[in-house]
Amino acid sequence: MQIRDYVIRRLMIFPLIIVGTSIIVFALSRVGGNPIAIYIEHEMSAEEVAELEDRYGLNDPLPVQYLAWAGGVLTGDMGWSAVSAQPVTEALFDRIGASLELAIFAAIIAILMGIGLGTFGGARRDRLPDHVTRVVSISGASMPIFWFAILLLILFWVNLGWFSTGRSDPTIFATIAHPTGIYTLDALLAGNFTAFADAIHYLVLPSLTLAFGATAIIARMMRSSLVEELNEDYVDAARAKGLPERLVLRRHARRNALIPTVTVIGLGFGFLLQGTVVVEIIYRWPGIGRWMADAVLRGDQATIMAYVLFTSILFLFVNLVVDVMYAYLDRRVVLGA
Amino acid sequence: MVDLTAPPTPAPVPIQGPWAVRARRFAEVSREVLRNPTTVIGLVIIVLLLSMAILAPVLTTPNVPDPYQMPRDWGARDEPPGTPGFPLGTTTTGGDVFYGVLWGARTSLQLSVIVVGITVTVGVIVGSLAGFIGGKIDEILMRIVDVFLAIPELIFALAIAAVLGPSFGNIIFALAVVFWVKYARIIRGQIIHIKQNEYVDAARVSGDSRFKIYRKDVLPNSITPVMVQATMDMGGIVLTAATLSFIGLAEAGLAEWGVLVADGQAGISAGKWWASTFPGLMVFLWALAFNLVGDGLRDVLDPRTERR
Repeated sequence: MQIRDYVIRRLMIFPLIIVGTSIIVFALSRVGGNPIAIYIEHEMSAEEVAELEDRYGLNDPLPVQYLAWAGGVLTGDMGWSAVSAQPVTEALFDRIGASLELAIFAAIIAILMGIGLGTFGGARRDRLPDHVTRVVSISGASMPIFWFAILLLILFWVNLGWFSTGRSDPTIFATIAHPTGIYTLDALLAGNFTAFADAIHYLVLPSLTLAFGATAIIARMMRSSLVEELNEDYVDAARAKGLPERLVLRRHARRNALIPTVTVIGLGFGFLLQGTVVVEIIYRWPGIGRWMADAVLRGDQATIMAYVLFTSILFLFVNLVVDVMYAYLDRRVVLGA
Repeated sequence: MVDLTAPPTPAPVPIQGPWAVRARRFAEVSREVLRNPTTVIGLVIIVLLLSMAILAPVLTTPNVPDPYQMPRDWGARDEPPGTPGFPLGTTTTGGDVFYGVLWGARTSLQLSVIVVGITVTVGVIVGSLAGFIGGKIDEILMRIVDVFLAIPELIFALAIAAVLGPSFGNIIFALAVVFWVKYARIIRGQIIHIKQNEYVDAARVSGDSRFKIYRKDVLPNSITPVMVQATMDMGGIVLTAATLSFIGLAEAGLAEWGVLVADGQAGISAGKWWASTFPGLMVFLWALAFNLVGDGLRDVLDPRTERR
């Protein structure tokens, strides 16, 4: 298969999968409970409830209901978010900046640490650094994020008093405008270094917590692909021509080992997405993860549906980009398929 | 350079034929698995955790009427570890952390066995239909699998459990809906690969029925990656369930590790670290042990996929 055909095929399947996902999300809202339960008050009479059901089209056939909902989603109308007392679309945009900022910082940490740790272990196979890498990567996959977050809080907040929960110091927050909702960016735009340092300070613990799982995945992949590359003939050739080991590693082996590592970035991104729910609860971070957790506890179906649909499409999109990128980087994948 | 003194690498023994062959293969695999120290550590932790689960009713007095509910002693709130009668301390609501840790192991064991049992069965059936029959059925089933894989696991399970309402039973159901997909995909890939072997053609030529070929030749040779994944999921399922119950989707007061960590969270700012720390450590050890063993199994059973 040519790369172009592969990309076209992936792009053709993409909308189908999104439609499939939206059907699942819709079905979710219809299997359990009443989708408008959260709008119903104690004082309402049966007639009023019936009228409400009628207004939201709950007496129509399911396919009609689905189309009405999907049409709404396409025009940016995802209903009313009861937990935040505003339209879902608006609530989503108000909170996405906070989650995005957290996820971007966590991703940077995970990629740098993952590649660093993987190289550190892979280049010293079966020696102490390698065992350290192995322990870190298996712990990362087994670590309950909620517990890790609490441990960090016990140490750095309760005992050392270095950090606290929340997103910024309220007095510093008030000194600058927030056009993007990404505080570090807002501070840079305002040219306010104090606000920037404050935003970074509050980011440290949550982004480290969130990064742990993804770091583990990346380190593991980097380590094994580096080990594999170091066994290749071109590495022997580079050594034979007298290149110092450091350069063999940096210029040849590590560069090629990065290619397969790209594939796990999609997986790592999924880890980050899922992790935001718990991390945002514990660190009182006002993003979409905590919004979802609130909605889950109060049965706010419009919010749950919007969150699941939004994160799934994001996840699919990242994976699509990663796959296409990998196909370009390593043509054997496609041609061998 | 070839080292002529090294023993020749043994040819892989296909898992079929009489029981003697299988027993020998099992002994070989066990020996190989036990050679890896981290796998042994994982096995030891698993044995300890399972003994905790089994001995919970002996080591503690079961709460009546429901032993899976935390006993409350309102006279002993926020007691630190080492208090007489409460070796791991108590929670802000007077729950015995030691009791929760032990009975939590029992909850986790039941949970993981039930969910792994259901998901492996469903996944193997769906994946076998897709891989062995192929064609249109394969295409349809795999697109369904793609859609299920499109939603991140934890978020999917969270949404299902949320719309069904908070209860541990619903968490189990949600996990079963989410986790079968991987098995379907793994077994399908394996079967498509195994089907191309000559011994399958031989069986077909000799007149065996399709079901017999599937049962005797294809399935037994395709199942090892499923076993590796199932071992890891024994850990992953407990981890995911604990996350869901931490968020608040299990019944309050259930003797389950995620619920306990959530209970203990309120006390940490006042320096009461124990109520969250011990149950969380149990989740970590449980997941870690099964991951270590799964990892070791994979290295031995299927060296090709080591890097994944």
